[in-house]
Amino acid sequence: MNVATLAKWTASAILSLCITGCGPDEKSAASDNVKTPIKMWVAPNENEEAFWNNMVKEWNKDPSHTPVEFTAIPAASSSEEAIMNALASGTEPDLSSNVFIGFASQLVDVGQIEDLSKMPGYDALIKNRHMETLLPAWQVQGQQNVLPLYVNPVVWWWRGDLLQQYGVDHVPTTYDELYSLAEKRTADNKSYVIQMTAGKNWWERWFDLIPLYYAQSGGKSYLIDNKAQFNDEAGVAVLNFMGKVFSHNWSSYDFTSADDPLATGQVLASARGPWDIARYRKQYPEILKDIKIGPMLTQQGTVHPHTFGDSKGLVIFSTSKHKAESWAFMQWVFSKAEHDLTWLETTGMPPARSDLLSNPIFVDYFAKNPLEKEIASYVDVALPPVATTQTTEIQRSMTQMLEQVIFKHTDSTQALNQSATEIDGLLKK
Amino acid sequence: MAGYDSRTGGLLASSWIGYSLLFWFYPLAWLMVLSVTQWQFIGTPKFTGLHNIIGVMQDKLFWKSMLNVIRFLLYYVPIVFFASLIFAAGLKRIKYGKSFIALSFLLANISSGVAYSIVFSKLFSEFGPVNHFLQQWLRVSVPWFTNPDCAMLSIALIVTWKFVGYYGLILYSGMQAIPGDIYSAALLDKTGRFRQGWAITLPMMNPQIVMVMVLAITVAFSIFTEPYLITGGGPLDSTTSPMVVMYEMAFQKMKPAWAATMSIIVAASSFLAIWLFRKLFEKNIEIV
Repeated sequence: MNVATLAKWTASAILSLCITGCGPDEKSAASDNVKTPIKMWVAPNENEEAFWNNMVKEWNKDPSHTPVEFTAIPAASSSEEAIMNALASGTEPDLSSNVFIGFASQLVDVGQIEDLSKMPGYDALIKNRHMETLLPAWQVQGQQNVLPLYVNPVVWWWRGDLLQQYGVDHVPTTYDELYSLAEKRTADNKSYVIQMTAGKNWWERWFDLIPLYYAQSGGKSYLIDNKAQFNDEAGVAVLNFMGKVFSHNWSSYDFTSADDPLATGQVLASARGPWDIARYRKQYPEILKDIKIGPMLTQQGTVHPHTFGDSKGLVIFSTSKHKAESWAFMQWVFSKAEHDLTWLETTGMPPARSDLLSNPIFVDYFAKNPLEKEIASYVDVALPPVATTQTTEIQRSMTQMLEQVIFKHTDSTQALNQSATEIDGLLKK
Repeated sequence: MAGYDSRTGGLLASSWIGYSLLFWFYPLAWLMVLSVTQWQFIGTPKFTGLHNIIGVMQDKLFWKSMLNVIRFLLYYVPIVFFASLIFAAGLKRIKYGKSFIALSFLLANISSGVAYSIVFSKLFSEFGPVNHFLQQWLRVSVPWFTNPDCAMLSIALIVTWKFVGYYGLILYSGMQAIPGDIYSAALLDKTGRFRQGWAITLPMMNPQIVMVMVLAITVAFSIFTEPYLITGGGPLDSTTSPMVVMYEMAFQKMKPAWAATMSIIVAASSFLAIWLFRKLFEKNIEIV
């Protein structure tokens, strides 16, 4: 065998090794002395990673604890996709944050996450963190598989300075108040008054239609026992309102691709989550000073109305070999109010607990951050999405319904019934 | 020596065979398996027979997206064909800087879909520079991506922008290959310019035109980035493409088996469309 042949054989051997060698890593068995660290995935975002870094460092200091190693959820188009990929290839961690109720429902459906209510000390933990009122909305098939970490209430942000220009000294709370403001604005030759829709994608219904429906219906769910509920009086009121705003050209359906319309002053109001505070602080600090927080608009001006709460939490995977250890870590993180304060300070997102405004630990923080305080005051009425495996289909149908009303001027009742029938059909399968 | 040659040949081919087995045959076989089973990424697939195909047949969104492919082709084929033809004809006339111009147009073809989709969505938004310009000079504003009738045309325009340099070069090579004698003969017969183009240039370019059309049909069935990023498939599902539907089906609705079934239908349809087109328009050109 000459040198060239040898080189060729070696090259092809290496190549085939490369090709065949991409299976999942074998999980090595723990030796007796060294504890296998718990693997955790957290949301790929700077602030959240900083928080977990903080927590994990403190936890790992105690030698009696099983150490935790955390990484951001690997890059993919969504964390759901990344987690699904990991589950399919057997590379999932022991626990993960950033799971919303819809995805949790899908994971429960395929039996991949643990029922946390069966863990020791669960009830005490819930009581201690004041989560009793929040948790019923997090039930999946009678189980509690997710511990919500934070709740981001979606509220209206108003440009106080622009409101004043039109002689309005308080934030509008009813549809009629918005109409009269819009008329003043049109008379002033400026067309748009509000950013009515958040965008064209299914998940963006969380920031327009769903919170408006929650507010108008007094916190009624849009789906009960696998049947659509939003084709009722409240639904008609909301859709009529949204339709009227578009038919009078008081809003555009194309804001998302442009620059932030609230910051540029194209509109006076837009529904936002608390994550925008940090962004505004960086990009538009001057404008942030004029921002006033208002509740979701309703027909009759309900005081402290319900809204949507963008909320995510922690899960333990069923395949984990360290469930007890993972639960111990979760218990520790959730058991101390100081940790929630750290969370609040690092991320600005309200922790999922109902005593935020009464617990003395948070008083200082909220005294210094009035905007955050106002948003946090809605945590008790911020409802998560419905626990269903078909979130995408349902919200896709809602988007179609909305577009029917906006572009085809379809009658609200008809559009609602059409969408409800479609969703009922989907859920029957 | 013969043994050495066949060994070398086998070795060289082995990487290709290995590649095809791994990245072509294996996924295809898996696709076939998936299309007749139920599977949600985890566990072993359960055989369900024709269940998936019946479900997909009743999926309105999927058929809407297939209809959208036809709508896309109706806009895309004439626009991209004439644009590339003009590009090719223009390139033929230019004396200097030919490769620079050709390369500049090809640049669109190799740009990242995600990057230019974001650029276009900003450019053509209601508040973008294009509408700003139209508003100032013509007092009109075009709802490029927000009108159900307009959005697909806008997508077709963007895809045209991407492929005009590529198709243009293919057509250009065809134009170059036509012998000058034929045009001289036509001149002697006092044939006009338009007639020359119609009776000589276009028929002589048949292989290149067929190739461009086959590529265009393939593109129509495979657009993803533009509708996914710019319009999200809307408004009113007017720009949803089969690829977007399949992606959502597999990764958001978690029904990879359905997506696999869809992909087989899409592949078969695109194959049929290409076969039909070639049957109708492909001619054997020989210069004697």
